[in-house]
Amino acid sequence: MIHLSQVIGQPVRDQNGEAIGKVADLIVAVGERYPPVTGLVINTDRRQIFLPWSSVAAVDVSGATLSTSQLDITKFSQRPNEILLKLDLLDKQIVDIDGRRVVRVNDVSLDEVEGSLRLVAVDVGTAGLLRRLGIERPYRRIARGLGRSAGERYIDWEDVDPLESTIAAVKLRVPHAGLAELHPADLATIIDQLTPRDRAGVLASLDDEAVADAIEELEPDSQVDVLEELQPDRAADILEEMSPDDAADLVADLSDTTRAEILALMEKTEADEVKELLGYPEETAGGIMTTEYIAVPANLTAAETIDKLRALEPSAETIYYVYVVDDDERLVGVLSLRDLIVAKPETQINEVMIDEPVAVGVLDHQREVANLVARYNLLAVPVVDESGRLEGIVTVDDTLDSLLPAGWKSHLPRRFPGSGR
Amino acid sequence: MTAAPGGAAVRQVPGPPRFGRRARFAAVLAVLGPGIVSGFADNDAGGITTYSIAGAKFGYDLLWVILVTQLALFVTQEIGARMGLATGQGLTGLIRERFGVRWATLAALTMLVANLGCIVSEFAGIGAALSLFGVPVPVSALLAAVAVITLISVGSFGRVQYVFVAIGLLVSAAYVVSAALAQPDWSLAATSLVIPHGTFSGAYMLAVVGTVGTTITPWGQGFIQAYVVDKRLRPEELAAERLDVLIGVLITNVVAAFIVIACAATLFATGQTDITDAAQAAQALGPIAGPTASTLFAIGLLAASLLGLGVVPLASAYTACEAFGWEQGVGWRVREAPAFYGLLAFFIGFAALFMLIPGLPLIQVMFSAQVLNGLLLPVILVFVMLLAGDKRLMGNLASGRINLALGWGVTALLVVMSLVLVVTAFSG
Repeated sequence: MIHLSQVIGQPVRDQNGEAIGKVADLIVAVGERYPPVTGLVINTDRRQIFLPWSSVAAVDVSGATLSTSQLDITKFSQRPNEILLKLDLLDKQIVDIDGRRVVRVNDVSLDEVEGSLRLVAVDVGTAGLLRRLGIERPYRRIARGLGRSAGERYIDWEDVDPLESTIAAVKLRVPHAGLAELHPADLATIIDQLTPRDRAGVLASLDDEAVADAIEELEPDSQVDVLEELQPDRAADILEEMSPDDAADLVADLSDTTRAEILALMEKTEADEVKELLGYPEETAGGIMTTEYIAVPANLTAAETIDKLRALEPSAETIYYVYVVDDDERLVGVLSLRDLIVAKPETQINEVMIDEPVAVGVLDHQREVANLVARYNLLAVPVVDESGRLEGIVTVDDTLDSLLPAGWKSHLPRRFPGSGR
Repeated sequence: MTAAPGGAAVRQVPGPPRFGRRARFAAVLAVLGPGIVSGFADNDAGGITTYSIAGAKFGYDLLWVILVTQLALFVTQEIGARMGLATGQGLTGLIRERFGVRWATLAALTMLVANLGCIVSEFAGIGAALSLFGVPVPVSALLAAVAVITLISVGSFGRVQYVFVAIGLLVSAAYVVSAALAQPDWSLAATSLVIPHGTFSGAYMLAVVGTVGTTITPWGQGFIQAYVVDKRLRPEELAAERLDVLIGVLITNVVAAFIVIACAATLFATGQTDITDAAQAAQALGPIAGPTASTLFAIGLLAASLLGLGVVPLASAYTACEAFGWEQGVGWRVREAPAFYGLLAFFIGFAALFMLIPGLPLIQVMFSAQVLNGLLLPVILVFVMLLAGDKRLMGNLASGRINLALGWGVTALLVVMSLVLVVTAFSG
């Protein structure tokens, strides 16, 4: 294995062993698991020239040797899938998918894989940093003397997600496939650390649902910032994918003009739900409830209810509770999914449901909601208006937010404590 | 989440629409932006001390330096803010990307040394302030260390800083009134402000470099850019951010000028040209505060030091970590960001231990730290200017020709000044 920093600046010799210049950069073609080196940039006395890999015999820490005696001095034009390792990758920020963090590239590791020299890993460790500063050897000696590890840290290229500001130079659309696989909470942490330009690139490559899930995991301040960086129609699409309660919380924090603009671009049903939720004060059951829940009429049988659930394919957060309402949408009972499944198929659900279920009023304080959920060990609690009509449900995760100290979600609050908006 | 407006009063259906956090704090945001915080922090312990020394020693002679410095401060701070808006990255991160790890290391080390000077200076400020109440220096060093650790770990500096800013404003106002009451030579002050003059002696050059160094600082350059990034300001907000920087610069300028005038009209006028301790510097507040001048001065110096301590160590640790790609910020746990917290501990430990040197001339220490900052500043400004004109990096926010000429002019001036100072220092 060789490091990029060991190759850069080394002499380039022609077939006869005559030095013709110095290695300026290495070119790789990305796309494969380990991108192969496709060319060499050489600084000669007079100019910078490009050599295709076919005319290079070998590259190692002592420099490069050419397989041709005549130099083809074509002017270098970068193909869309090619990156220059020094210019585009070294010292830049990348996402370490496995470690779920944003890191800076200290060095780049190359190795012979399947018969060709390939980019295999990026070095983000202390040893790599000190190698660049030319003090790796004394450092290793000291580390060994102290019985410490040398602080080596490599990230396999497969686990690296290069960012837009790196790749933008070559107009390559970065797929960010690795990021799409991450848990929304991890994705959120990474999104929070990126520069606006990189964030735009990452968000553009992900689908609406993935972005919506990640945004739900962000701090309210960051949510607003991220959403306002997007085009309004994309922001509207993403809000539609969010659960209505989270969407409403976020929309409430937007500036008046942005809010109006985005709500107008949303689908009518979703926009109406959000608008309704916006009408309730933040700290009340209405303010934290979602309008996505399962409600069925009382005259169904257990089998019919289950069929109906399947037909609805509910996207609701919580389907563990099925709420039973009368013709005026007043809450009359609740069934757990368990009740429904163990009941005989032909049983009327009003026989097995719990009558007069625990419920909260839309304007009850969220602390009372949390108390109820805790006391009765509920996963969700229904919210009714003063005439008993079912308006929504509050899920247990949303009650937690009111109990935990503010800012618990903040994986990464601001560097300067005073700089939040 | 903050409490809903009204509480029980909103128990009627349906409640009022919720207001966004941003809407609620819009007014606050408009007042206290990065430029203003930076401007206030420029008038820290080192600032007050340096302006006092300048006024006492050279009377009104250095007023023009203050004016020129403030104009230069606007140029550099505006560039810093613009770089933050354009790139979303901090200064050392950009240096690393653009010039590689060696130059980034040079920049980070330069910052580190200059900032360490600043932090020692803030500690000395607390020592000098508390000395007026008879507190021994080792005790103040300990108190300062405890104060800064509390400020950083409690994480509520956002609110605490307003207290310091308020005290800072009060003391600044005291200087303005004191200057007026001391019946200075206004016409001389006015001409000195716009017409450069002075003796090019070693002491004069030292005061010039100190004045520049306490106003335009390496940390301030890193800070404004980082704060703009941190606040996630967007390119559209450039105009507002420029205004913010302008207000910050004006505040620094007016206060600095009046400190010099107050000192010129009191200390210089009575022949006390060499300030050696805080009690002496406090006499400039005599015309307004009379016998309580010392107390007022002490409170002001204390607030200024604490404001500086809330900002400079964090900004410094952040700058170093960004250059090397280490986790940074108080949001990480100590185990996750060992370098960041290690640096903070080093800064505080170093400054506290430095204070334990017996018989340390606190005022001289503060002044010297500003000169050190002034000498190291050109190194940082060269990087700033090289980046500011880079179209690939800055896009359409890159500096235009006039801005580049101004910025390079300022940088060149500082280089010449530093060289002159070094030469005069060596030639005796």
